[in-house]
Amino acid sequence: MKHCECANFLHLDCEKGMCALSKMIVPIDGEGSDACPRFEEGFMCQFCKHFSDADKYGIGSCKGYDKENWAYAQCGAFSCEKFERK
Amino acid sequence: MSNEAKIQEILKRRGLDVSDVTDFADEVVPEPSPRFTKLINIYYMMKNTIDMEYPYWYNRVWWENDGDITEIRRAKAEAAALSHMTPTILPGELLFGNKTRNFRGAFCFPWVDASFFNAAAEAMMAGVDAPPMAAADAVSVVGAGGGNVTKDFGNVVSIAQKFGLRREEVPCLVKVAKYWDNGSVERVSARLAEARPDYQKWAGYRNSVLVMFDSWAIPQGREVINYYVPLEYGFDKIIELCDEKIAETLGEAGDDGILGMSRGYYYMACKTIAQGVSKWIENYARRAEYLAAHETDEVQKKEYLDIAAVAHHIAHKQPETFRQALNLTLMCHYGVVNEDPHSGQSIGRLGQILYPWYEKDIADGTTTDEEVIELLELYRIKITAIECFASSGVTGGVLSGNTFNNLSLGGLGYDGLTAVNPLEYLIVEAGMRGKSTQPTLSLLYDEKTPESFLLKVAQCIKLGLGYPAIMNNQGGMNYMLRHYQPEGMTIYDARAWAPGGCLESSPGCFQPLHYNGKTYMIPGGAGPTAGTGIHFTGMPKLLELVLSNGFDRRTGIQVFEPHNRKLDTYEGLLDVYYNVYLQELLEVSNRMNNLQMDTHRKICPTVWASLLKADCFANGQNQSHLGARYNGTINFESCGTINLINSLASIKKNVYDDKKYTLEEMKDAMWNNFGFKTAFETGVFSPDRREATELAPKYEKIFNDCVNAPKYGNADDYVDSILVDYEDRMLPKMLALRSYMGKQYYMCQISVSTHGPQGAITLASADGRLCGTTYADASMSPAPTTDKNGIYALFTSATCYDHAMCQNSQMNVKIHPSAIKGTQGTHKLLDVYRAYMRKGGFHIQFNVTSSKTLREAQAKPDDYRDLMVRVAGFTQYWCEIGKPIQDEVIFRTEYDS
Repeated sequence: MKHCECANFLHLDCEKGMCALSKMIVPIDGEGSDACPRFEEGFMCQFCKHFSDADKYGIGSCKGYDKENWAYAQCGAFSCEKFERK
Repeated sequence: MSNEAKIQEILKRRGLDVSDVTDFADEVVPEPSPRFTKLINIYYMMKNTIDMEYPYWYNRVWWENDGDITEIRRAKAEAAALSHMTPTILPGELLFGNKTRNFRGAFCFPWVDASFFNAAAEAMMAGVDAPPMAAADAVSVVGAGGGNVTKDFGNVVSIAQKFGLRREEVPCLVKVAKYWDNGSVERVSARLAEARPDYQKWAGYRNSVLVMFDSWAIPQGREVINYYVPLEYGFDKIIELCDEKIAETLGEAGDDGILGMSRGYYYMACKTIAQGVSKWIENYARRAEYLAAHETDEVQKKEYLDIAAVAHHIAHKQPETFRQALNLTLMCHYGVVNEDPHSGQSIGRLGQILYPWYEKDIADGTTTDEEVIELLELYRIKITAIECFASSGVTGGVLSGNTFNNLSLGGLGYDGLTAVNPLEYLIVEAGMRGKSTQPTLSLLYDEKTPESFLLKVAQCIKLGLGYPAIMNNQGGMNYMLRHYQPEGMTIYDARAWAPGGCLESSPGCFQPLHYNGKTYMIPGGAGPTAGTGIHFTGMPKLLELVLSNGFDRRTGIQVFEPHNRKLDTYEGLLDVYYNVYLQELLEVSNRMNNLQMDTHRKICPTVWASLLKADCFANGQNQSHLGARYNGTINFESCGTINLINSLASIKKNVYDDKKYTLEEMKDAMWNNFGFKTAFETGVFSPDRREATELAPKYEKIFNDCVNAPKYGNADDYVDSILVDYEDRMLPKMLALRSYMGKQYYMCQISVSTHGPQGAITLASADGRLCGTTYADASMSPAPTTDKNGIYALFTSATCYDHAMCQNSQMNVKIHPSAIKGTQGTHKLLDVYRAYMRKGGFHIQFNVTSSKTLREAQAKPDDYRDLMVRVAGFTQYWCEIGKPIQDEVIFRTEYDS
């Protein structure tokens, strides 16, 4: 798992974020981007039980709301009232 | 007795109180708070980033509500988008909120402009399908340019050569953009425009870059926000009021058979967006609580919980503390700038708006001035980090990446007395300590402004930050009374004006805020965008087209029908310029702008901004439907005024008066760039480097005569009278135009950064300016180094006409730091800007820096990451502005004594 998939990852920009626990800046890609043992699964559509059938681009279906719609795996879901872990 | 002591003694005898200027021995400014330092250092490392959370949710909910009333549908889409974004709170922050989940984030608006993405969709998806890069390549860092992502790297795709987008989000962008391929504001308005018989004329203006960009590109902004409704009521009460209004108006047209019914829809939209913004704020409370629950450091844990408490409160109620009030205005601001591509959503007179909370907190002893300064420093980072994605040309080229969130100081209050209060001193202090590009500060200079405040402002300017700018309060009020008289402008409302964007004078009003058992009249914006209209038009380029019989020699486009006149008199030349070509351009461009903005209000009616703007809520009408108090806010933006004036002076002098050359000889010299290489050939865009070609000897004499012709800025009536004539001719043309709001136009005389690109498309001009070099910046700045008689002569030239005829004028002055060193220098600087204000100048701003430093910074940008300069109405990090503008700023006349 990657830092950027952790619940303690704080978004900074397209290449890095900050770990809320260590307060260190962590890269999204490449060396140093793997999560540490304190990893907790983050809030993203890909971790939600309402998200399914993702294609190779991460585009799948969201069945969490009255109207089913497409969604993308990397979308943040902390603020989604329908988010439920798989 | 030292000189400084003598001055203070003299000032004291004259009754001038300078006791509040605690840091009188200037150049000694306290360090910013450690929090500021930590967070601004993170900011410096940030890449401009766009992500897809907002566009995804907007798009999803918009289409799920197909068939709904547009205003309500739009409110649902916006509310869903805001309330689904990931809230990011960094350790050490006291203020919460961001435009997006990223620290320095933005997003695209395909419902406004999708063609940019759809055109690139195939290439972008090819990039996604490409094999992943090696790990080492995946973390490579784009070179100089501050936070701009100018090219792809690793798993980051460069969008518009400014923003980075994660590769895995590209498919989402492509998918969302596809929905809007045929229905964006851009496409719908283009179809309407193409139905007009004069569409090809418009296409000619745009393709030759005579007119710089479209209104849909940035349909909101250059206005002053109004925080009154949430500060007075809080969200729970707003929602309650909406319910009352819905019960009262839904299904009732009243006496208005056209828009009466829309009041009910307006209030339904207001309720939806208020609920969305409230939930968005609540999300920050939940995130802060989550972080607190995982935090082991007790100090940090408490700070997270404090943030949660603030967020919980302001998500529902009227704020009770200064910190709460400040954070609420911040969230309201983010909400507005997330509605549309925005630039110039000005904060207005924040110190006067938030004074009631400051006053109570200080009186209660619940905060200190130092704590307030710290909050204001952190606020500066939040505003600095506001980014706007429009398109490559607009965001990066025209605006230099700045979003112009202007904060005003001073002016007059509702009672006609100075509006300066103790909080405004702290705002300036925070700007001095917490050096950052935004919010830029503007002093509304009035003779009633306390001397100590004027000196405080001068001290701040001396730091070389490019702020505050100085604006003429009485001039602004006179303009308000003059231009908005048909809409009932009163002296009270005129006192509430403030610049929207960098210096687009915008109407305002005072509203009664009830807090702490008192009633305060707080100012805020009372009109929609004051910057949308006929966008930046290259006035020297238009003269070039007059001389070339309407043919653009650069592109090969016949922009105007050939006039086929001999132009054998100066008046004949002016007649074609003003009454034929310019008149056509104004009429055609106005129609196109009207179609673009009418399309925008039909597809993307402003919702959140329309809840906030004064009188919309009372009237039950969107600000796009004239819901606001004042609506004559649409303008014509000119660029290159001084090069036009100087060129006319040169032609008048050399061709018509002295008859040294024929007009054909003048044109031949211009078309051949006076025998020099163009800026594109030399790579230098200011006129300080001239490389001769073999043709130079042929044009040497005429070039010298053009350079030596009378120039603006020297108190020379020969040329200044041409400027007066220009202003006198332009005003009635503006008043005759009618915007899509059914109101008259006015002149907006600023350049932002357009003097770079519009200079680039203009051949050599008769004033001796070479092909491709930038125009003189602003509207009142002299062409670089052509002002030979000192700064007061420049002021005389600049004030040869009444600046209150127009929305603004703009003058940038570069001063060497040595010229205003020490206490005497502070007073000298005040004398300078006061002199200009007293002569009737509308605006002046200063770059206190040396050309030597700027040249060094241009050569080694990494060594100057925090160097800021004033460009034209805004401050920007030196390393994030393009080379043509850098060259122009370096070459500006430098006053050193």
